[in-house]
Amino acid sequence: MLVSWTWLSRYLDLSMSHEALADALSLSGLNHEETLDKAGEIVIDLEVTSNRGDCLSHIGVAREISVLYDKLLQLPNPLPQETSLAAQEVAKVRIDYPESCSRYTARLIKGCKVKSSPAWLANSLKAIGIGAVNNIVDITNYVMMECGQPLHAFDLAKLAGPEICVRRAKAGETLEAIDHKSYLLDASMCVIADAKSAVAVAGVMGGASTEVSPSTRDLLIEAAIFSPMSVRQTARGLKLHSPSSFRFERRVDPAGVDWASRRACELILELAGGELLQGVLEAGTAAESKSPVVLRLSQIERILGIQVDRQIVVRILTALGCNIAEPQADPLSIVAPSWRHDLSREADMIEEIARIHGYDKIPENSPISVVPSARRDWDHAMDKVRLVMSSAGISEAMTPSVVTESLDQAMSPWTDRSALETITPLLKGANRLRRSLLPSLLQSRADNWTAATLEANLYEISHVYLPGSGPHELPREQTNIGVVSGQDYHGMKGLVETLVNRMGCSATLSVQPTTSPGFDPLRSANITLGEHLLGYLGHIDKSLAQRWKLPSQTCVAELALDVLLQYSTLVPQFRSISPYPSIERDLNLIVAESIRWMDIESSTRAAVGHELASVQYRETYRAPEKDGANTKRLLFSVQLRRDTATLTGEEADAMIAAIIDRCTKEHGAKLLA
Amino acid sequence: MSTTIDLNGFLAALDRIQTEGLAAFASVTDASQLEAARVKYLGAKSGEFKDVEKQLGSIDKSDKRTAGMRLNEVKQALKQALDAATNNLGTAVSTHQGPLVDLTTPGTSFEIGHIHPITQTIEHLKEIMGRMGFAAAEGPEVEDPWHNFVALNISDDHPARDPLDNFYLATAAVAGGKGEWTGHLLRSQTSTVQIRVMESRRPPVRIISLGRVYRPDAADATHYPMFHQMEGLYVDTNVTMSNLKTVLRVFANNYLGEDVNIRFRPSFFPFTEPSVEVDFWWNDQWMEFGGAGMVDPAVLSAVGYDPEQVTGFAFGLGVERLCMRRHGITDIRDLYSGDIRFLYQF
Repeated sequence: MLVSWTWLSRYLDLSMSHEALADALSLSGLNHEETLDKAGEIVIDLEVTSNRGDCLSHIGVAREISVLYDKLLQLPNPLPQETSLAAQEVAKVRIDYPESCSRYTARLIKGCKVKSSPAWLANSLKAIGIGAVNNIVDITNYVMMECGQPLHAFDLAKLAGPEICVRRAKAGETLEAIDHKSYLLDASMCVIADAKSAVAVAGVMGGASTEVSPSTRDLLIEAAIFSPMSVRQTARGLKLHSPSSFRFERRVDPAGVDWASRRACELILELAGGELLQGVLEAGTAAESKSPVVLRLSQIERILGIQVDRQIVVRILTALGCNIAEPQADPLSIVAPSWRHDLSREADMIEEIARIHGYDKIPENSPISVVPSARRDWDHAMDKVRLVMSSAGISEAMTPSVVTESLDQAMSPWTDRSALETITPLLKGANRLRRSLLPSLLQSRADNWTAATLEANLYEISHVYLPGSGPHELPREQTNIGVVSGQDYHGMKGLVETLVNRMGCSATLSVQPTTSPGFDPLRSANITLGEHLLGYLGHIDKSLAQRWKLPSQTCVAELALDVLLQYSTLVPQFRSISPYPSIERDLNLIVAESIRWMDIESSTRAAVGHELASVQYRETYRAPEKDGANTKRLLFSVQLRRDTATLTGEEADAMIAAIIDRCTKEHGAKLLA
Repeated sequence: MSTTIDLNGFLAALDRIQTEGLAAFASVTDASQLEAARVKYLGAKSGEFKDVEKQLGSIDKSDKRTAGMRLNEVKQALKQALDAATNNLGTAVSTHQGPLVDLTTPGTSFEIGHIHPITQTIEHLKEIMGRMGFAAAEGPEVEDPWHNFVALNISDDHPARDPLDNFYLATAAVAGGKGEWTGHLLRSQTSTVQIRVMESRRPPVRIISLGRVYRPDAADATHYPMFHQMEGLYVDTNVTMSNLKTVLRVFANNYLGEDVNIRFRPSFFPFTEPSVEVDFWWNDQWMEFGGAGMVDPAVLSAVGYDPEQVTGFAFGLGVERLCMRRHGITDIRDLYSGDIRFLYQF
C-alpha cells in the first residue's frame, strides 16, 4: 500500500519525520517496505497483512498514526446537495445473487462535464502510481484510495433499460472490460448487468461499453459490497486482479459504503458540475451492528506477561474506534468499529493493546521452568548411521521429494502401486511423490559425472511415500536411507553389514535374490533382518546404467530405517571377555556349486554350538581339474573357545570332526585332503 | 724403563679435556660439527681423551687408582655430552643410506564422508532447543486439511488454502462447491506436527517440530519450493509472551554466539494471536528471524485443550536461511543439487 505524505496530511498534523513515522508504523503492524521521494513528494510503501483491509486506504493509515501519536483525526463529512428529482424515478437496482453481493447502492448524477482532473487530484493519484484518466474516473479512484471502498461510475445513457441487476454470469457470456480485453465468464461469477448484458465483473472491473467517456453527461455511481470469496475466485479465474478486487478480497467497511458514495458525488459536483438526484438506490441488507467483545483485564497479563493500566487500555481501544460503554467496568464490554473485521474476540483485543502499547514493553527476563528433555532414540540412531556412512567415505545429499514420471518409473522396490501425484509440479515436470530414494541418487551421481567427471558416492535419509489402497488414505511414509556408490555387490553388502553391526543388531541378516525392476537380477538381493524386510541392495541393471551414462559399475542400497532401529541396541551391553585362549583352525571344503556359503556357515554353527567363538569366510577357489566339474572349495576359519576352561587339542579336533561330519551329511562336503 | 708421569699433570690434562670437550659438545649446531667434536675428544685412534688414557700406564702405581677413577669420570662426562648433543640434533645423525625422505610431500589421505549442511544446522538447532527442554518431534509430510488448515484456524475460504499456494494431490477432490479445498496435500508448514502432538498428549507440551515443507515458489537463489522449518511450541498453565521473548533471546544468543537484541513486530498468522515477526540485531542490522505468537485459543480448542486453563507460545523459522547465513551460502538451489563440489565443503 503506497501512501503519500501530502495526502495523509489532509487528515492529521504530521509533525514527525517520515523516517520516524515509517519506524513507528513498522513496529505497530504496517511493515515499512521502502520510502520513495518523488520530486519532493514523500511516498511510503507499507505492507498490509491480509487481516487489515482497513489499512488499504489513506484514512486507514491516518487512523493508525492518530492512535500512535495521539493526534486528532479530521475526516471530511460529505453532504452533497441533492435536487428534487428522485433517483428512484429514473433507475432501480436489484440483487439476484446475494451469496456474492450483500449490498448494492447507487447514486445518479445528471449533466456533469467530463474533463481532465485538476492538478491536486491528478498529482495525488500519480504519487501512488495511478494514472489520471478523466475527472470522474479519477474521483472514484481517489475515493477508493482515500477510504478503501471501491466505486464504479457507469455512463447512465449507455445502460440498457432502467434497472441494474447483480446476477450470476451466464455460461459462455463474455464481457469486454475497460482494459479492452474480452473475458469469458462462467456461472459462478458475479456480474453487474443491465437489461441486455453484463456491464461489469462485480468487484473486479467495469465494462468498456458503459465506461465514462468525454461525451458522458449522466452517471450511475456504484458503491457495493461483494463477498471476498466470490471476488477472489473470479479474479483468479479471469487472471484479472485490480485494486478493487484486492480490497473486496480483504473486506470493506460495511458502514463506509454510503460515506464513499456521498464523498464521490460531492467531489463530482464540485469538479464536474451536474446535479445529484435525490436519494440512493439500494438493495440488500445494511450493515448489522456488532456484538460486544468481553475483555477481562486480568487476561492481558495472562497472555502478555505484563500489566497494562486500565486508562491505557481504554485509551488505545477508544482511539482505534472501539466503543466502550462503561470504561470503569471489569470485564470491559467493547464494540469494535465497523471497519475492523478482525476484532471479534478477547484475544484480538489483547493483540491491539500489545501492538499499540508496544512490544518493546514486554521484558526478556522470564525464563521457563527447567524440565528434562531426552534426545530421542531416533536421533541417537541417526547419529550412528551417519557416522558409519561418513567413515565409509559416503557423503550426505538432499534431493527433492517430488520427481518426474521418468525418474519415478526407474526403480520402485517398495511398492507396485502408482506414485501419488501433485496437481502443481514441484519443479519443472516433477509431480510424483517418490517411492524410492534411489532414482534421485542415481541422477545426482550422473549429474556429478557430467558436470565435473567426479564419481559421487552419496546417501540420503528421507521419506518415501507409499500409496495406500484408496484415494482417501494418507500414504505410508517410510524414512529410508538410500546409498549409491561405485563399489561392487560385496562392497555394498559389507557396508550394510557394518551398519547393522554398528547399530548393535543381534538379529540375523540374510539375503535372497531379488527380481525388482532396475536391479541386475544376478547381483542384487533383498535383505531381511530378523523377521522383517530391511531393504534392497545390488547393482543397477544395464539399461539404467546406459540411461544415466554412468562411467563404471554402480551399486545401490535402500534400507527402511524403522526396521533397522527396531532391531538396534543403542546402549551396548558388556559381555565378559574370556580369559581362556581360543584355538583357530582352517578348513577347506569341496562342495557342489549349488551349495552356498550360508549353508556351510549354519551347519558349522549348529555342529559346535556356543563353543564356536567365530566363523570367518576366507575365499572361494575352483579347481575343477582336481575336484571335478561344478565344484568349488570354500576356505574358512573357525575359532573355538570354552568360557570356563582351556580347550585341549583333542577336544578341538573332535569339534572340527563334528563340523566336517555335519557339512558332509547335509551338503555333501568333502574335506580337502 | 719407562718414565713415570706426574699425577698432577695427568689430572690437569683431564680437567682441560673435560672443560673444552663439554663446551664443544654443547655448542654444536649440526651433524658435521658434532662429528668433528666427537673425533677430536672421543676419537678412538687419536682423540684427546685417548691420548691421555694412553698415559695411564706411565702413572706411578700408588697414584693409579686416583688417576683411573678420574679418567672414568671424564670419559662418562664426555659420553653424556655426546649423547645429549646427538639427541639435541634429533636423528640427523642416522645411519640412513640412499635418497632422503621428502618430509614435505602430502600425507596419505583417506576419505571421510560429509554431512549435509542442513542436517548440521538442524542438529545445532535441536541441541540448543533441547537444552531449554524442547523435545524434537516429526510427522508426515502428506497431510489432510484438518491438520494443515482447520485445526490451525485457517478457515475454508482463507487464501492460504488456495491451490496456487499449495501442492494438492491429484487424487483428491480439489474444489468443493464453495471453493473448499478438501484434498490431501504436501504440508505447507510443520505446525501440522504440533497439532498431531497436542491431539495425542495433555499439557504441558514443549516440542520443536522439524522437517521438510512445500510451497509453490519458483526456484531462484533465495527460493525453493521445498525447504525445512523448525517450529517451537510450549503450552502450559502459565505461558506468556514474555516467556516467548525470553526463549527466543536465549536461542539467538546461543545460535549467533553473542549477546543479541531481538524485537517483535506485529504480524498476522491464523494460528497465533497476538502474532509477531521476530528480528535479531546482528551485524549492525535487523535480520528477520521468523514468525511467532501466542497460540490462538481456537487452535487450543481444536485439539481439545481448554484456553481458560492453558496458554502457549509458538514460533517458526526457516532452517535454510539460518544455514545459508551461517555458512555464507548464496544460492539455496546448491543445497539440493547433490553436487559433491558443494557437499564436500561442509
